[in-house]
Amino acid sequence: MAIQERSWIGRPVPRTEDRALVQGLGQYVSDINFEGQWVMALVRSPHAHARIARINTEAAKKLPGVHAVITSQEWENLRRPLPGMAPIAPPALAHDRVYYVGEPVAAILADNRYVAEDAAELVEVHYEPLPALSNAEEAAQDQEILHPSLGTNVVDRVQYESGAGRGALAAADHVVTATLRLGRVSAQPMEPRGIAAHYDPQNQTLLVYHATQSVHRAQERIAEYLGMEKSQVRVIAPEVGGGFGVKNGTYPEEALVTYCAVHFQRPIKWAGDRFEEFLSTYQEREQIHHVELGINRDGTLVALVDTYYQDNGAYPGGGMIVSRTTARNLPGPYRIPHLAINGAAVLTNKVPQAPYRGAGRPQGHYIIERMLDRAAEELGMDRIEIRRKNLVRPDELPYRTGIPDAMYDSGDFPQAFQDLLEAIDLSAFRKRQAAARQDGIRLGLGVANYVEVSAGFGFEGVRLRLLEDGQVLLSTGATGQGQGHRTALAQIAADTLQLPLDRITVVEGDTDQIQKGIGTFGSRTMIMAGNAARVAGEGFIAKAKDWAARALEAHVDDIIFQDGRFSVQGVPSVSLDWAELARKIAPSGEMLIHEDYFGSGTPTYGFGSHGMIVRVDERTADIRIERYVIVHDGGTIVNPLLANGQVIGGTVQGLGSALYEEMIYSEDGQPLTTSFLDYRLPGAVESPDIEIHHRDYPAPSNPAGYKGVGEAGIIPSQAIVLSAVEDAFQDRGLKLDFAPVTPGRLFQALEEKGGFQ
Amino acid sequence: MVPITLTVNGVKHALEVEPRWLLADVLRDELHLTGTHLGCEQGVCGACTVLLDGRPARSCLTLAVTASGCEITTVEGLAKDGVLHPVQEAFWQEHALQCGFCTPGFLMTAAHFLENNPNPTRSAIREALSGNLCRCTGYQHIVNAVERAATIIREGDSHAISQD
Ligand code: FES
Ligand code: FES
Repeated sequence: MAIQERSWIGRPVPRTEDRALVQGLGQYVSDINFEGQWVMALVRSPHAHARIARINTEAAKKLPGVHAVITSQEWENLRRPLPGMAPIAPPALAHDRVYYVGEPVAAILADNRYVAEDAAELVEVHYEPLPALSNAEEAAQDQEILHPSLGTNVVDRVQYESGAGRGALAAADHVVTATLRLGRVSAQPMEPRGIAAHYDPQNQTLLVYHATQSVHRAQERIAEYLGMEKSQVRVIAPEVGGGFGVKNGTYPEEALVTYCAVHFQRPIKWAGDRFEEFLSTYQEREQIHHVELGINRDGTLVALVDTYYQDNGAYPGGGMIVSRTTARNLPGPYRIPHLAINGAAVLTNKVPQAPYRGAGRPQGHYIIERMLDRAAEELGMDRIEIRRKNLVRPDELPYRTGIPDAMYDSGDFPQAFQDLLEAIDLSAFRKRQAAARQDGIRLGLGVANYVEVSAGFGFEGVRLRLLEDGQVLLSTGATGQGQGHRTALAQIAADTLQLPLDRITVVEGDTDQIQKGIGTFGSRTMIMAGNAARVAGEGFIAKAKDWAARALEAHVDDIIFQDGRFSVQGVPSVSLDWAELARKIAPSGEMLIHEDYFGSGTPTYGFGSHGMIVRVDERTADIRIERYVIVHDGGTIVNPLLANGQVIGGTVQGLGSALYEEMIYSEDGQPLTTSFLDYRLPGAVESPDIEIHHRDYPAPSNPAGYKGVGEAGIIPSQAIVLSAVEDAFQDRGLKLDFAPVTPGRLFQALEEKGGFQ
Repeated sequence: MVPITLTVNGVKHALEVEPRWLLADVLRDELHLTGTHLGCEQGVCGACTVLLDGRPARSCLTLAVTASGCEITTVEGLAKDGVLHPVQEAFWQEHALQCGFCTPGFLMTAAHFLENNPNPTRSAIREALSGNLCRCTGYQHIVNAVERAATIIREGDSHAISQD
């Protein structure tokens, strides 16, 4: 066994998970088949808002291959609200009313998906359509209340005030006002949601394979809904094909599949398809902001006043987190002495909102960055200059933003911005831009700065076990969806245990392998599970020393652990490595196991600056990205290859929501973009090669110095794209106030400015 | 039910299928080759790409009956005798996959592309991959991987790749 020459942490090690994945050997939920399983398909509401008059399932029930057709008219138990959503939660199956297109109304259990879908078409549901709420600002007036038990459509309000609040506007030289909007987007992981469950009546245990970001929280919900003990429910997340936040919450299908598996004592599987992913998976971003920015003549920010409405869809989903996080991100990395923020999450007849990568961070930054561009224009000041002037300086750290508990603690924001401008070569770009304009080519530069606030609550755990062959098994509840935790956590443990990487096997996402866990979302896993891996490693070594002391017939205080070997102080010639220790332990029948947790209530604050150059075709309003540069701080980096993957992947997702992606609903709440043909994801041709410059300031709030990196890329994307496109038409006074700026929207905006000239 | 024969990764199978069954479903459910993934069943994402008589095809838009008598290569057939295909090795080394759901489709597309384009530019690679969607990687590392695979193939050292 070779001892590593240097630290594994910091090395761009290719992933241990990939040998199987590149051969198509990864097992996702849709690949898992239980003997004798029934497949579930759902009848979903075609109406945004309607009363269900009656449902006729006779024809569907008679179809050969169909085992059951389930409605909550017949199955009263399925009218109960889903667990894990407050203050109001949907039933597993709609009972007397549907609140959004896509809401499950009936479930079919059949031999296979073909038959199940045939049967779904035979279910006759008689609806009495009701007027739909599709505008959050109107819905907030409560003329029509969607869920009478709530008494209002405003399901949550967030209010922050600092300094003199709104009153400070009066003291500012200028007040810039704008109404800014963000369209609705959908995460669309490449693997649609799915779940499969198998009940063992003998032992009364339920085994669930679940495409989820959090096995332990899923276990809790399932146990609660079924009235079982948590210990009777085992949830395993096999390979999960992307999550981005939307595979994290409670959904009707989770309740339905597990309920039916127990009821029928039959394995049940539901593997959602793309259409269902558009109709039923939680969506995000949609907000409208009315903003006033107080600013002095010299460009100094005085006050930010923002009243906004989030179109939260028919149920809370996880939307409250989004609207609250939006508020917390409004100041961005800028110094704003007075804040007055008033946000409302409003229920309408659309798919519920829940966090999607960024989860309010992009929205907050979009607002402040857009407003800085507007203010620069109003003052006749350079867009770069106004940012320089207001970025929080390193000598102001730790800096309180005015939002409770938000205190930036590390880094150098102005320097990162400066480095970005140098990488872009601003003056050379301005010359090139002017020359290109002579030739009828429109180039634009966008810049944006951001802070990535991550974690700041809860804990995560790691359990280590020495196997008989000297391998170490590391388990965690942090359930990945492609981030590469199996490699990164092994790197951390390898350093602590002084083992080569291939001696450590990581299992993530199995409730049987570790008692507690929270999950992977909000860029928290390296911060939480990463630190837990180290703490657990230290405890593991301490326990191993006990065993080594017995084996070496010495006192435990005299055992030293060095270079991956246990020896007695002063007798280096006799020593045991992990494999030898494992062999010594084996005869006892005992096991060397240690489980430990790391928790922290302090968020980490990564930060950075993005710059992009776009080339816009004035005739077609086609926007191409010529260059994209990032200066990025992610704290201590475990694996630069994976960190780059996160930053680039997040950035391109962000470009999607800035340029192409928009869930469009008609006024009566019909979703009009329900396939990849209508809802366009960025492809290989549109996506740029991204240049990343790392500035790694360790986080002061956790021992290893880790910060979140998963959302860094997506935060500034909508702000920066609109800024760049405006810059390309600066002479025409183009003002953009809606993200995404699709070619169609840009074309219209240019038409309003007199069209192609 | 209709009898068909499919030669998949060199192995001949006689099967009984319903005329409406998709090739992807037959590969996955009847032959248990679950490496071929279904990302959209709308012909857009490319996750289901297989080689049908040597050419990339969407197995979600192909009925199994129409593929009868054809030679099919799936992602499971790319590696030979435990030796990864250069595209597989390069995707691994370049961190060209995260969740891995889109990966089989990209690998099949890239393997076919490189057969006819041994020395492609980055923009030619991007063009060639434009029929496959990836939601995780942002494509850059995938393009790096295809470049690297091209180098491996050109240098003909694909057999030197380790077999652990
Ligand atoms: S599944 Fe065939 S193209 Fe998406
Ligand atoms: S790696 Fe997840 S979709 Fe491509």
